Amino acid sequence: MGFTLYNLIEAALLCINAVAILSERFLSKLSGNANINYPNVGGYGVDYQNSGGAKQQLLTLIRSVRTVMRIPLIAFNVVTIMFLILFG
Amino acid sequence: MSSDGPIYRTKNYPHPQQQQSSQFYQPTTPSPQSQASNAHEGDYTVPNPQSHNGFFSPQTAFYGSSNQATSSIEFLSNNPFLNVGFNVVEQGMKDMTDKTINMLPNQMKKSLSSIKYYFAVDQTYVIKKLCLILFPFRPRNWSIGYNADEPVPPRVDTNAPDYYIPLMSAITYVLVAGLVLGIQNRFTPEQLGMHATSVLIWNIIEILILSITFYIFNIQSKLRILDLIAYCGYKYVGMITALSSYLITDSLFIYRLALLYISISLSYFLVKCLRLQILPDIGGSQPYNTNGNTRRIYLLLFVVLLQPLFIWYLTQHLIIP
Repeated sequence: MGFTLYNLIEAALLCINAVAILSERFLSKLSGNANINYPNVGGYGVDYQNSGGAKQQLLTLIRSVRTVMRIPLIAFNVVTIMFLILFG
Repeated sequence: MSSDGPIYRTKNYPHPQQQQSSQFYQPTTPSPQSQASNAHEGDYTVPNPQSHNGFFSPQTAFYGSSNQATSSIEFLSNNPFLNVGFNVVEQGMKDMTDKTINMLPNQMKKSLSSIKYYFAVDQTYVIKKLCLILFPFRPRNWSIGYNADEPVPPRVDTNAPDYYIPLMSAITYVLVAGLVLGIQNRFTPEQLGMHATSVLIWNIIEILILSITFYIFNIQSKLRILDLIAYCGYKYVGMITALSSYLITDSLFIYRLALLYISISLSYFLVKCLRLQILPDIGGSQPYNTNGNTRRIYLLLFVVLLQPLFIWYLTQHLIIP
């Protein structure tokens, strides 16, 4: 039960790291090569009946998290590593 | 200040007696009654020098100046300038809060006003809602009232979610957990902070998991995230009753019974509340199951079953057989 706020931040950071490390090839293999065409549609792909599937939503979520968090994740990781080195 | 009165009273009394009796001969000692009558003034509980024999001592002169302070307290409360001062301070504080609120971006302003909706409760609502959480089995109408396509505040409609009960019951849970730990001689003040932090963290985790599940299964429902936070906060009421039943009776059997009853009643309550918001309308606008009705039902069951799990998990470590 000894949860602290730091534990939560650390768990969130590790989860987002795990999402960022997933390889692109693995993801495209999972989605059946259909996602590569979506950026060309220009955002109108949501009208598709198929894009409502759980798998597609999950893959969209993973992709968007990777796109958004790529750069800030570097900063968060560096800061956390510094903290851990200095303060144990 | 008034609470410091008794303490100052007992501290100040030996001093004037000792100093006066040591340096000056006084035929009459100050009567305790005069001291008692001056004790009502508050901080400056000094024997009234006029009730003395009239010896002018430096101490009584000093006390004389502070006696002027005792009348200064009446001066404080009757002073019209003080009211002006209070008004100025109040206006300044209001200006400061308004300025900070206006500095926020527009999104936060909107969410601030929408959070204000959840705190618009009154006493009858709180009592009705608490009775409802503990005994939801009477037949009643569970639909939420709407006023021009906007939900009615909880003051008017008993079925509306609110933040007051979850917030207060979470704080009460932390205190009751401290009480239980104290009875078992396991209490340190850090435990209070740890419990508060774990309440916050488990809430955040639960809301995150539920939001991500809602998003992944692509369910468009009328349930907003703010409503979900409110509905997930009602389990603390159940936790408090289970813990109190353990405190009062100190028997494991009663605790398990209370836990079971709370799980059943909370699940029933949440199913009835959320059914109208997660499951689609029965109006027949969607003739076939493209919206994934089964998914919604599973999601509803997931939400509802998560609560007793949390109740059990968060009270388990406090109970020692």
